[in-house]
This record gives sequence, C-alpha cells and structure tokens, in this order.
Amino acid sequence: MSRSMQDQARSDRRLSRLINIGLPYVWLGLFFLLPFVIVLHISLAESTLAQPPYTALWHWLDRGLLQIEINLGNFLLVFEDDLYAWALWHSLQVAFVSTVLCLLLGYPMAYAIATSASRWRLILLMLIILPFWTSFLIRVYAWIGILQTNGLLNDLLLWLGLIETPLSILHTPTAVYIGVVYSYLPFMILPLYANLTRLDPILLEAAADLGCRPLRAFFRITVPLSLPGILAGSMLVFIPVVGEFVIPDLLGGPESLMLGKLLWTEFFSNTDWPLASALAIVLLGILVVPFVMMQRLQQRLEENRP
Amino acid sequence: MATLAERRSLEPWQDPKAAPYLRIDRVTKKFGDVYAVDDVSLNIFQGEFFSLLGSSGCGKSTLLRLLAGLESPSSGRIFIDGVDVTAVPAYSRPVNMMFQSYALFPHMSVEQNIAFGLQQERLPSRERAERVAEMLNLLKISELRKRRPDQLSGGQRQRVALARSLAKHPKLLLLDEPLGALDKRLRENTQFELVNLQERLGITFVTVTHDQEEAMTMSTRIAVMDAGQIMQIDTPTAIYEFPTCRFVAEFIGSVNLFEGKVVESAGELVTVETQLGRPLQMRSFQPLAIGASVAVAIRPEKMRICSDYREDGVNQVQGVVEDIAYLGDVSIYRIRVADGSLVEMTLTNVQPRTEQALTWDQAVAIEWSPSSGVILTE
Repeated sequence: MSRSMQDQARSDRRLSRLINIGLPYVWLGLFFLLPFVIVLHISLAESTLAQPPYTALWHWLDRGLLQIEINLGNFLLVFEDDLYAWALWHSLQVAFVSTVLCLLLGYPMAYAIATSASRWRLILLMLIILPFWTSFLIRVYAWIGILQTNGLLNDLLLWLGLIETPLSILHTPTAVYIGVVYSYLPFMILPLYANLTRLDPILLEAAADLGCRPLRAFFRITVPLSLPGILAGSMLVFIPVVGEFVIPDLLGGPESLMLGKLLWTEFFSNTDWPLASALAIVLLGILVVPFVMMQRLQQRLEENRP
Repeated sequence: MATLAERRSLEPWQDPKAAPYLRIDRVTKKFGDVYAVDDVSLNIFQGEFFSLLGSSGCGKSTLLRLLAGLESPSSGRIFIDGVDVTAVPAYSRPVNMMFQSYALFPHMSVEQNIAFGLQQERLPSRERAERVAEMLNLLKISELRKRRPDQLSGGQRQRVALARSLAKHPKLLLLDEPLGALDKRLRENTQFELVNLQERLGITFVTVTHDQEEAMTMSTRIAVMDAGQIMQIDTPTAIYEFPTCRFVAEFIGSVNLFEGKVVESAGELVTVETQLGRPLQMRSFQPLAIGASVAVAIRPEKMRICSDYREDGVNQVQGVVEDIAYLGDVSIYRIRVADGSLVEMTLTNVQPRTEQALTWDQAVAIEWSPSSGVILTE
C-alpha cells in the first residue's frame, strides 16, 4: 500500500470514529443539554404578564455595561413552601411504593415467563407488550370506567355478593397505585425477563447438588444474579413515576398531589413558567443522584457476571 | 507377593461377597420416546475409580445425572450404601458432583464457592473455615481464595470446582468430563493428580468421559456405553485386550476385524475361515459352535512382519504397503491384503525414520500369534 493510500485510510478511520463518538454527543446536546439550559434559564427569571411570560436575564446598558439579573426566588419558594416539599415527598413515596409493588408482582411473572417452555414464552411476552398498542391515556381512562362507583369492578363485586354497597376507589390513593402499577409493570417485567433468561440453570443444579433446597437456592443464587435486572426495572419504574402527571390527575383525588400535577398547574393554570421550571430542575436534581448511583452499582454487578 | 485375598480386596468386583457401594438396578430413563438410559444395571464398589465411557449421546451423562438426583429414572432403582435413594431429591443425596462446565457461582469468591455446600450443612463457622482452608491447600489454590470465577483461568476453575465438590467430604463423587475443558498438556498432568487425590481420600469416583485414553489411565474399571446400554464393564486392560463385542473392540483403540465362520474347534484353539483366503487360528476361552459367524479382532501393535512366510503358515497374510503414518515413536502402516481390505499394523520406530523397515508399495507378509487377539461373537 502506498503512503498516500495509508494516509487516506487513516483519515477515513478517524472520520468514522468522529462520527461514531460525535453523533451521540450531538444528539444529547440537542435534545437533552439544550432544553435543560433553556429550562434552567427560565427558572432563574421572574414571572411577568407578557409573551413569553418571564423576564430576560440580561440587559445591555450604555457604554458596554451588561446587567445580569438572576432570580433565585423560585428555588427559595420551592424549598420554603410546604406545599412543594409535601408534593415532592408524596411523589417519592408513591414512586417507591409502586416500584416495590411492581417488583413483587413483576418478579414472579418474569420468572415464570423465563422458565416456561419456549413455545409459550413468545406468547406470554406478547401479552406483556400488547397493552402498549393502545394509547397510554386511553388505558388510564379505561380504569375510570372500571373503578368508578357504578363501574365494572363494583358491579362485579356486587353481583358476586362480596360487598353490599359499592366501594369508592376512584379518586383515592388506591386508584393511583392501581393505575401506576398497571401502567408500569411491563417496564419491570421486561428487564427482569431479559436478565432471568440468561441465568444458567446448571447453577441451580449445582446448588441442589451441594445440599441447597430450591427456595434457598432461589434467594442465594437466582436473586443475587438477577440484581442487575431488578435495578434496571426499578429505575424504569421509579424515575418516571416520580414525575407522573396523568395517572394522579385522572384517577387520584385531592390528596394525590404529586409534583407532576403541581408542575402542570404552575405552568398552564398559573402561567408561572419560572416557578414551574425551578420545580422541574429540582425534580431532575433529585432523580439524577439515585440514577447515577444505581448505574454505578449496576455496572459493578454486571462485571461479576461471566 | 500379594496373597489372593489381598488381590481380591483390590478387585472387589471379583468377590461375590463384597457389597457394592453404589447399586444401579435396571434403571431406564426415557425422554419422550428416546431411551437415554436403557435398562442399565451396574455395581460400583467403595474406593473405585469408575468411568462411564462413550461417545456423545450414549447416555453416560444422563446416567450420571440420575445418580446425582438431577433426573429421576423412568423405572429402576438406585441404591447408595444399601439405601434406596431413587426418590431422594438431589439436595438430600450423600453425593456431590463436579459439573462439566464447572457451574461455579459467578457472584461468589472462590472461598464462598467452596463454603457453599458446608453452609447448607449448617456446619459451625470455625469448622467451615477449617474445611475451606483444607480444600484450598489440597488443591493448591490458597492464593486464589478471594478471586471471582471470571478472574480465573480454565485450569484454576477446574480446581475450584473440584475443591467445591470435595468440600463436604462426600463418599461418592460424580465427575462429568472432569478434564474436558483443559488443554492437552494440563489434562495429562491433572489425570495423575486426580488419581492420586482419589487414592489418598479413599472416595469412590464415578466419572463420565468420551476420551478413552483418559478412562484407560485413571480408572479401576470402565463401562463402555452405546445407545443407552452398557456394552462391557471391565478393567482397562481387559477392555482393551479382551473386548467382548465388535463395538467395544472398535471404540477402544484401533483394531483389525476379520469376519468369518468357525470351521474347527479343538480345545482352546479355534479355526476361522475368512475372506483372507486361508484359515486363521485363534485362542478362545468360550466354546464356539462350528459354523458360527464370528470376527477375529487383532490390535495393530500385535501384528509383526513375517520373516518366514509359508503357503500354509498360521495367521500369515501377504499384502502391499499402501499408507504410512509416521507418529514419531511409532509408525502406522496400512497394508492392502488379499481380500482387498486394509490391515493396520503399528511398529515401534527402533531405527531413525530414514532406515525404516517398510516403504510405500512394498510387498510384505505379516503375522500374529493365536493368543494375541480375540474372537468376537457379538
């Protein structure tokens, strides 16, 4: 190969590497970093009755003087007003309880699918994925029809004679949990399933051979080895549920005040964009920390796998 | 000079009064319509190094899994030390197994892997630590105790797997292709180590292998399996020198088979007429009917070059050298004989290669003695 051809090949390689590494960064910059900067920018402004409904952060004065006004009042309000702290605490609580419920329901389901005969596996997986073919919003609306006082669930329970008077489930925290667990269960099951199918059944045989009963082997072998799947599923449920807006809005009552709902109110009803942005930034900050920690932990766990 | 009694105790299967440690009684295992193990009966005695030998799919691994309790037989019974364990689940059986893939727990260190079985026994932690240290020393892997399986080489993993399966001091250890994943060099060294270990600990070993050399080197007895059935059970020497059927003769080592019919049976000497054009005379320990279809089996190394070829010579055949394979220590000669078939003969290379006795296309006469082969009826 001649010199110039080698140079050409090398520069081609460099170009392809640049594209490979550069493209994700461009993507993240455009669709994550830039919106984040815009939201951060708005959160530091003041609310006004104008278009757009917030003040500019800087003004050019005479003779090259630049005046920058940063308003931290929105953040102070978020931390000082009990309403926001309470909504945040409530959001985290709902997200945590829902994640635990999804895990308790999803693990046995994922395990059953992963250990089922291969001809059943695809059908069972399809059943998990099938709800995604209908709009999320419509599925949550459908729960209103099921849960309301003269809804399907109450009709059924009355017909069966299990209850005398209809239960009031709709617009209670229970309805929010039902809606959240129903909507987010697939996000728990799928990563768990992907993990559990990789588990070598020989390891369980080895455990049995060494005198370990099946239930104990499950907790000593299967559960520790599926930790990456548990973490992935939990993150996929916990993080979106903290900011969940639709489900508490449609199924919840006045006590189901979650941060997502609050954010929506500030933005659309009160047209207080800076306060809504400050809320969004705080929410992001609170979610990023556990996310990065879990990611680290997961990486460590993955390294232990052969 | 050992007395007969002493020799008997070394070969307990010869002693009709000895009780087998492991008794497999007419065990069958079906997967769907396929007989993986087909009516197998087998006695294995305390302290034996017993090998199940066969090609893949012959049912040897299934038989081992039946012994471990990882499969349950479709019919038949399994006794360990006189106790019927057929219905006993794997986690309650007094046996341990070393898996072919080693099956080390990837999320546990070497130490934790070895301690796993002891924890299930609820052994006090002091004794457990002692036992783990004993195993680490026994297999010379003390410096690896904190490592995880993915930080080990294949040979190291094999040792950890062995240590883990020995940690509970089982009386019966099952080994599924224990050396299968090692390279040739390491395999040869480990073979001797495994035998020494087995003799020192006095544990009964049952191994599964497809490698006949491995089985020959290590075993007290070998069971050759084919299509779920045991074809022959015997010592390595007997399996090699006195195979009882064509399958075993051909499976172990190389063999020349001359098909023919018995024409004369005088005492131990049997005359067989074959396609070679002249009768062959062989010793036989069993009476054979005149006219029975048999095969005369001669190992290639039992053949020699005939210096005084005679038209009526016993067990003498003429042919032409067609192929020579030089293996260093020995050479294999393939000789085309009268009936058109190829006969294999191995000669030790006493002289350097350049001065070899035979060359291509050379006419040669070969012969063997009547006691150097066997007559096979099956």
